[in-house]
Amino acid sequence: MGDVRNVCLEDLPGPSSQAELEAEKVSYEEYCRQLFAPGREFEKPEALKGVRWMSCTMYIFTPHAVANLAELGAEVIKIETPRAGEPMRHTSPFNEAYLYPMHDSRPNTGTGFGYMNANPNKYNITLDYHRPEAQEVFRRLVTVSDGLTECYRPGTFDKWKQSYRYVQEINPRFIYVWGGGFGYGPKTFGASYDILGQAHAGLASVTGWHEDFGGHPAKHTNWIIDWYSGTQITVGILAALNWRRKTGLGTMIEFSQVQCATRALGYGVPMYGRFGIVRQRWGNWDTQLCVHGIVLCGKSDYPDDKNPQLKYDARYVAVSAFNDADFKELCAVIGRKDLYDKYKTHKERLSEYAQMDIYKTLEEWAADKSRSEVAKALTGAGLLAIPVMNDKEVYESEHFRARGTVRWQEDPTFGDVVVQGGYSTGLMSATPRRVKWIWRTLGADNMKIYHELLGYPVSQLEDWYAKGII
Amino acid sequence: MKEPREIEINSRADTLKPRPWPVTPPPSKEDVAKIYARRKAEEFGKFMEEIVGFEHAYGKAEALQGLKVLDVGIWRLSNSFASSLLAEMGAEVVKVEPPGGDPLRELTPFGRDEYKLADAASGEPCGLDFIAEMRNKYSVTLNLESAEGREIYKKLANQADVVIENYPPGQFDEWGIGYRQISRTNPRVIYAWVGVHGQWGPMKDKVSKFGQWMLDPFGQAACSFIHNTGFPQDLLPRGGGGDPTRSGVWIADYVAGEQAAVDILAALYHREEVSGKGQFVEVTAAEALMDILDFDIAWYGFNGSIKSRTGGWDPNLNQYAWNPCKDGYMMIGGQTDRLWYRINMCIEKEIPQFGRLIGEDPFLKEIAARNAFEALTKTYTLTTMWLRDNTRAQTEKKLMAYDVAAGPVMTIDEVTEFPHFKYRPWVNLIEDDSYGTLMYAVPPNAFQYRTPARVKWMGRPLGKDNSEIYMRYLGLGNEELGQLKEKGVI
Repeated sequence: MGDVRNVCLEDLPGPSSQAELEAEKVSYEEYCRQLFAPGREFEKPEALKGVRWMSCTMYIFTPHAVANLAELGAEVIKIETPRAGEPMRHTSPFNEAYLYPMHDSRPNTGTGFGYMNANPNKYNITLDYHRPEAQEVFRRLVTVSDGLTECYRPGTFDKWKQSYRYVQEINPRFIYVWGGGFGYGPKTFGASYDILGQAHAGLASVTGWHEDFGGHPAKHTNWIIDWYSGTQITVGILAALNWRRKTGLGTMIEFSQVQCATRALGYGVPMYGRFGIVRQRWGNWDTQLCVHGIVLCGKSDYPDDKNPQLKYDARYVAVSAFNDADFKELCAVIGRKDLYDKYKTHKERLSEYAQMDIYKTLEEWAADKSRSEVAKALTGAGLLAIPVMNDKEVYESEHFRARGTVRWQEDPTFGDVVVQGGYSTGLMSATPRRVKWIWRTLGADNMKIYHELLGYPVSQLEDWYAKGII
Repeated sequence: MKEPREIEINSRADTLKPRPWPVTPPPSKEDVAKIYARRKAEEFGKFMEEIVGFEHAYGKAEALQGLKVLDVGIWRLSNSFASSLLAEMGAEVVKVEPPGGDPLRELTPFGRDEYKLADAASGEPCGLDFIAEMRNKYSVTLNLESAEGREIYKKLANQADVVIENYPPGQFDEWGIGYRQISRTNPRVIYAWVGVHGQWGPMKDKVSKFGQWMLDPFGQAACSFIHNTGFPQDLLPRGGGGDPTRSGVWIADYVAGEQAAVDILAALYHREEVSGKGQFVEVTAAEALMDILDFDIAWYGFNGSIKSRTGGWDPNLNQYAWNPCKDGYMMIGGQTDRLWYRINMCIEKEIPQFGRLIGEDPFLKEIAARNAFEALTKTYTLTTMWLRDNTRAQTEKKLMAYDVAAGPVMTIDEVTEFPHFKYRPWVNLIEDDSYGTLMYAVPPNAFQYRTPARVKWMGRPLGKDNSEIYMRYLGLGNEELGQLKEKGVI
């Protein structure tokens, strides 16, 4: 600290004001709750205020990449085909969940839940790129935006003279992102979907039960890899914005979805490269930790419910007791101390035959118990276990409600909706993410963008609308 | 009968021989130029390879140059993946490990030590998961359980732009080195806590009474991902695949890690553009994965539906599935009418009844009606009739001729040998100082005009950078480090 005569009060350790003193007194739990203040997001600023992004996107992968920006406060303009909109507006689980209308002129057509979460906070406009009139409009948008994300097949935007080759001349600060399946190379024209990424990148081959156990490769539910890959584009965009802040230079990012799942294979890739060992599927167990897997219990928590998802499937528990002491306690709880004597070290427990033996023993013990009985017995003994939760339980969970990550919210167009995304991608103390609207109807913001932003007269818009250009 | 194999494996020793890669060379530029020409995109293809091609990546600038990051997490891949993404973009990431090392170093599949790699200098073995996520990072050791170690940590954290931490809730706060304390001395710090369920709330992260940490798949289990993944019991027997299924990798960790990187970079943008101040970020595996579970929770709120499992199929789209074929599984996708009828034309050529039963079925002509469960069963039954006589390569070629998205389910060896993967490349070899030649997955952000992501080294032996980092950050000389080491502080 040096000479005490030179020390300022502010430099001394400890709280420097009454407010800080108070803050120090509260428990950590309470401190976090106050700091993140769920429900009060709109009182705080937005991280990406002032960034304007064009979203020429469809499906999940690229829309989600830009949705991250929109949740963080960027102004995102989503461009869709006039009248029809993008395919996800017509996608809904078993054709049953829609919000109406899709468009002012189509009151009997709704937007399917497939559109959900990938398009919050975006302004929706329509434009048919095929028309010659569209080119000038597109260029004006490029001039006033910071970047765009598109997902058309390679060369399509180039054919329309709106690829990076052309836009960099209009706006050198522009950040252009192409997100698709394969990118340059021999399979460049191959289309891609989430499921193709899972299959093609090797992720499917390590998920699910092995053939030797009678299983098949299992698909990660719905479009996880599309979403996961989209977030990595956002990482690329934000890094590029950081570089542009310093240098004033825009860039082109070519991002392939199929590669992303390979990036998540962990030891699979280096193990093949060094030893030629090809990782296989290992069902609900863990290849590197034991006990650390999902255990089937005999009884359901909802034996009388008429929904089969509750009646038959609320029967699984994740159990984790891989350290020696934890495993010893686990064996004591299930009354099989001999199992601990057999597999005293983690290395012994991890061998494939030991795993088969241990999990079989656990399931035998759980055969006459319900899921919550098993979880209670284990957590009561100080071990780690958690029921495998379903949508109902996640929806009802006090935890997510208290944190504001699952909530009912009033949407300006559609009224009360459950929001599960946006708030759940990370709490931020100073610039929290927020959901302003879950999505807008098709072309809802044509007036706002074309007239109020770009200055086209309303009569012009009417003409374009009549001709199907917007 | 035993299948003939190219390489005989009779004992475990046979499996430890390095294999050549690639076995066959990737296609040449000329071959690929011909493919571009098929759609009159030669010029565009050439332009793309010039501006975003991987071969130029290492000569370009780094987007996050100058950003100082501390990764103080252990055990999980979420904090590691977050700091990997920043490190690949050029940030200086220092991984702070306890003197015994991150326990992740010990993990190896089925406990087989022969799949760990020994560091060339010390011979210390290290697991491959750890090595793969230690890309471009420095390793220092520091004992945070000692008061002296915490004092050193404060000095490190005061110089950091970003701190990524994942200790059990409140642990760092109790030690006096959490966000509450660090932000006072370093208000510019962006501090991210990356966990499983949360550091506060009724279901917050726990450790067992013996101190064992909560790891993935606890994140997957808490957001309905596991419940919704896998085959239903009508397709496979329960206990043999017809169960809720966890991902084969720690996917919730990866998702949390990348969202943490997004939030960190957004906070950085706000700090530089507007506020000059950092903030506290909390990302959890369960919530980050829930965010991307489509509409599943919202659907329950909408009409009380609880999503069921559909195996390799999809309840929203038809066709959009993988099914068994002659030599494995083949994925075919095409929901829109255009692609639906193209698939139809392709299969009909070999199985005429496909056209009659699928293409001409009036019920299946409507895009949304095709998603009914009976429609899926019918479509995939007939598709599989075709698939069973075709290999993955044959089906891919036939469907690609119709512009249909099709891809084989590939095992990792096939992935690394797939021509497109080798050409770009998406998996690559790197000469690592400590661990020799390693194969790695190339960062998906490596294909950029100005600032591509890149990998410069892979693993890092424990504490290898102690003298450099402690000198550079704290001015500690080797003699002082020696004393600290003796006291067990580093």
